[in-house]
Amino acid sequence: MRILMSGYGTVGRGFAEVLEKRSKFLEERFGKENLPRIVCVMDSKTVARDPAGLDMKALEERKLRTGKVGDESYSDSVAVIDSVGFDLLVEVSPTDIKDGGAGLRNIRRALERGKDVITVNKGPLALCFGELIDLAVENECKLKFEGSVGGAMPIINLCHNNLAGENIRSIKGIFNGTCNYILSKMDNGQPFEQALKEAQQRGYAETDPTNDIEGFDAAAKVTILANSVFHRNVTIRDVRITGISSITPDAIALAASRNMVIRLIGEVSETKLEVSPRLVPKGHPLAIGGTINTAMIDADLAGPITVYGRGAGRIETASAILGDLLSVMDDRIGKKHSK
Amino acid sequence: MEKPIRQVSEMKVNAELYVRDLPGQLVGSLEPISMVNGNIVGVVHDREQMVNDRILVSVTFEVDTAAQLDELKDIWKSLDIQIGSMGSVGKTYPMDYLILGKFDGSYLDTLIEGAAKTVHLESVDVGYSARDTKDNKRSAMISVEVSDRADVDKLDVFFDESCRKNKLILIKGVLR
Repeated sequence: MRILMSGYGTVGRGFAEVLEKRSKFLEERFGKENLPRIVCVMDSKTVARDPAGLDMKALEERKLRTGKVGDESYSDSVAVIDSVGFDLLVEVSPTDIKDGGAGLRNIRRALERGKDVITVNKGPLALCFGELIDLAVENECKLKFEGSVGGAMPIINLCHNNLAGENIRSIKGIFNGTCNYILSKMDNGQPFEQALKEAQQRGYAETDPTNDIEGFDAAAKVTILANSVFHRNVTIRDVRITGISSITPDAIALAASRNMVIRLIGEVSETKLEVSPRLVPKGHPLAIGGTINTAMIDADLAGPITVYGRGAGRIETASAILGDLLSVMDDRIGKKHSK
Repeated sequence: MEKPIRQVSEMKVNAELYVRDLPGQLVGSLEPISMVNGNIVGVVHDREQMVNDRILVSVTFEVDTAAQLDELKDIWKSLDIQIGSMGSVGKTYPMDYLILGKFDGSYLDTLIEGAAKTVHLESVDVGYSARDTKDNKRSAMISVEVSDRADVDKLDVFFDESCRKNKLILIKGVLR
């Protein structure tokens, strides 16, 4: 399994590390001849390639030393994709929620070439889900995106596989750890600005926190769930979004006086598509604090199911990519040894 | 034919039944509840309360619809089971709304009046903070209970529209 990786930031590095960590397991499962190998890596400006498989330790050292993965510069990532022999694209370039950016172009091209794709890039999925799924079907390839919603928290494959026979009535959840961190801090009396600053200092929030605090990041995830679980045909522009920047200490105190907290909740069903601050009773599964993501799935046979997990992080998100990789390889190659 | 799988029941009912004091009558009075796909919550069989040679069976059960309840009553009637009394322990749905922005008490009065015209409110409770002297903003919490799940959606829409029109932030609760 030859892998082309577009993007070598936090998640890309994490995936390379996880592949190394699980090499014995992968060899046992698929055989040495099918061991996944990374044949090409693109960062924002350069590309490294080796059809026999890149030495990822050397690549990591070079990235740390020079800030580049390779000596070869490129300006058109699609041209790079066209010039490489590979079986699977792992698309982990930065999310562009406005027009999908290079990630969208890369995924589109790989699918057009009949290559399987695993991505955690929300932008392309929140903007062009239907088009990408159609492309995947048309070209008989797989498009997997578990890590795009909730990082390590299993939800998409859970709904597609374990809950395949269910009529899922709704999913409500906390899909943005940054907002949840800020609101949890506000529960303890910190004003919004101070809580945001602390989130930035701890690395939970970006320098420009707009995507998180105005609800766009959570809206992208809700859109992906609406399309993939509820088979709706929506984009992020269809989501009713209210962020958390207007939440006052006064509102938090009033909620607390009724034994409630305020959380940014994404809600999706056949008819709903919304991200907004909501009042949640203390002790409710959605009243969780900190950076953890959580989702409550309301299924007709199973009833309510709640999942929790780390919504971001290098290794955590890579874990979701590994799960998708196993699924693709099981289908394409099959397990060599039944374990 | 298999019975449909039960959803969460919408209606909880207490019934006092009088059955003939004969073997099998207790079971015979409860079986029809299952026949209409109801769910028995509790049963008390009181042999000391006899009226006209009939003994009292007090049963609490859940059904999803009024049609199921009517069907059940017909079955009991056909089996010569007398219904002494029947009362619904109505399920209510609590919902909370927090409103932020510039508004006064008369806005809240009008809002609640409008909500009461939109749906039947079983209960309403309103609390609000003092006006912030800096920006003249305040927060209000409205807690309501309704007896029909669909009314929650109607209220959501009503509060949402009013708050948008008046440039207020609405924070809805999650259905408990």
